[in-house]
Amino acid sequence: MSDTILNDLRPQRADAVTAPINEDWLAVVLGLAIFVLALAALVNVDLIGWVVTTSVWSNFSQALKATSKDFSSLGGIGALVATYVALLVVLSACAGALKANLTRFALAFTAVFWIAYASWVIGNFANFAAVTPAEQQKFGISWSLKLTNEGGYIFALIAGLIIANFFPRFAEAVREAVRPELYIKVAIVILGGVFAVTAAGKLGLASSLILRGVAAIVEAYLIYWAVVYFVARKWFGFNREWAAPLASGISICGVSAAIAVGGAIRARPVVPVLVSSLVVIFAVVEVLILPFLAQAFLAHEPLVAGAWMGLAVKTDGAAVAAGGITESLILAKNAAEGVNYQPGWILGTAATIKVFIDIFIGIWAFVLGYIWTNHINVTPDQDKAKLKEIWQRFPKFIIGFLITFVVGFYLALGTPADIAKKVPAAIGEANTFRVIFFILTFFSIGVLSNFKTLWQEGFGKLAAVYLLSLFGFVIWVGLLISWIFFSGITPPLAS
Amino acid sequence: MAQLDVRQELQKELHRAPVEPLLPIEKKLIGWSLTIGLVLLVALALLNHYAPVTF
Repeated sequence: MSDTILNDLRPQRADAVTAPINEDWLAVVLGLAIFVLALAALVNVDLIGWVVTTSVWSNFSQALKATSKDFSSLGGIGALVATYVALLVVLSACAGALKANLTRFALAFTAVFWIAYASWVIGNFANFAAVTPAEQQKFGISWSLKLTNEGGYIFALIAGLIIANFFPRFAEAVREAVRPELYIKVAIVILGGVFAVTAAGKLGLASSLILRGVAAIVEAYLIYWAVVYFVARKWFGFNREWAAPLASGISICGVSAAIAVGGAIRARPVVPVLVSSLVVIFAVVEVLILPFLAQAFLAHEPLVAGAWMGLAVKTDGAAVAAGGITESLILAKNAAEGVNYQPGWILGTAATIKVFIDIFIGIWAFVLGYIWTNHINVTPDQDKAKLKEIWQRFPKFIIGFLITFVVGFYLALGTPADIAKKVPAAIGEANTFRVIFFILTFFSIGVLSNFKTLWQEGFGKLAAVYLLSLFGFVIWVGLLISWIFFSGITPPLAS
Repeated sequence: MAQLDVRQELQKELHRAPVEPLLPIEKKLIGWSLTIGLVLLVALALLNHYAPVTF
């Protein structure tokens, strides 16, 4: 997503209008920095092993610890404080680069971090997270919600929703640090390396996923978009200026696509921003429902479930997050039946599908921009759609994802055995940061989801198109396509 | 506050906007997009079925 465009349309973030760098590039820099620091472990230098990790717990003293045994002397609380301080410093630097008010950001981020992480810790309480009878016995409990440890994401999301809908003034006060797009992009950059190490063990399966990813693009752009545009124009009477960004937001990728297409067709800037207001709300509803549906009905088709999340959930953050929850729930259900799949494939499938869809946002926006500026609202030559807009609208964070994927792949397969064997553990430390950025994303998505928006004047029609298109068409056709291309394929078993 | 006024005006506009009939170019965009999409999907599904990537 071009955050220069996004930030120009969101005057409450006046910081980014004159910022020297945008969120996309910051996500690339930060994600790559974490990845590179993690790789120092390949030469036996542990630079980020102090980052906090959380385990399922019944005794709080066992909940937190440093990721690496090298830093065990820090203790759990020490690791948590170190993580908070490091993220505060680094993200404040990012906020400074975006010309944000640093004091406001620091205060807001403090609230965001501690509330979000506390929610994650609560979500890891054994009575919420423990899955198998053996686990319940280990913790001495007689019942559990069986949400798995990644159910903590749902707790973070719910905490954000409570703040958004019942404490709106507090939500506004912490708004400076509520940046789900930045957080999920950093996470996706790191995820590239994580997935590469997973995929390196099964090249054929990874290649297969890529072919199927192409099918996802075809569906999202050519089929979804056309149907939703027709519904918006013909059934609901939206004019072209509203229908194009709306169709893009519903069928392709929520905020990014709505704003890219809005800009390409020269819509008034506030139109795609209003459309985007609904995207997050519907994505939240999907995240709360679809992973549990997937666990109930697709536990024996895990990659169908992963692909479904990538095709049906319409923001980067929510789609990848939904993939993570779905993986956790499905792996747990299969583990309870004695089948232990290797983790990473379901999440990787969802993320890969979403990344493929994102790659072509710029191209699709250019195609629509060309049609609009040459055939619908014919503009002077200097304002016609230009090829360079494809690069301008290309979501730059994908470059980071590709870099970490290629480097991770090479390290796993192209280095001597003594180096290659250290790669999973090294990237595992970066993955701990990925989890934390997921937590921040979930919480932030919740804080941005004020359901009262749906009842504001004029939003009823927008919401109705969204509801009908998403829950009446996009989700089910996405499931059908996922089934056609991914059924019968299962992740490898864990060794 | 000015931005809030603009948003409120746009929301009211949504409520009252006159209908614009589909232009021929829009019908072509929808038609071609769907047709190419369905054809490509069928082709990919057949490729996946008869020449799957083995692993």
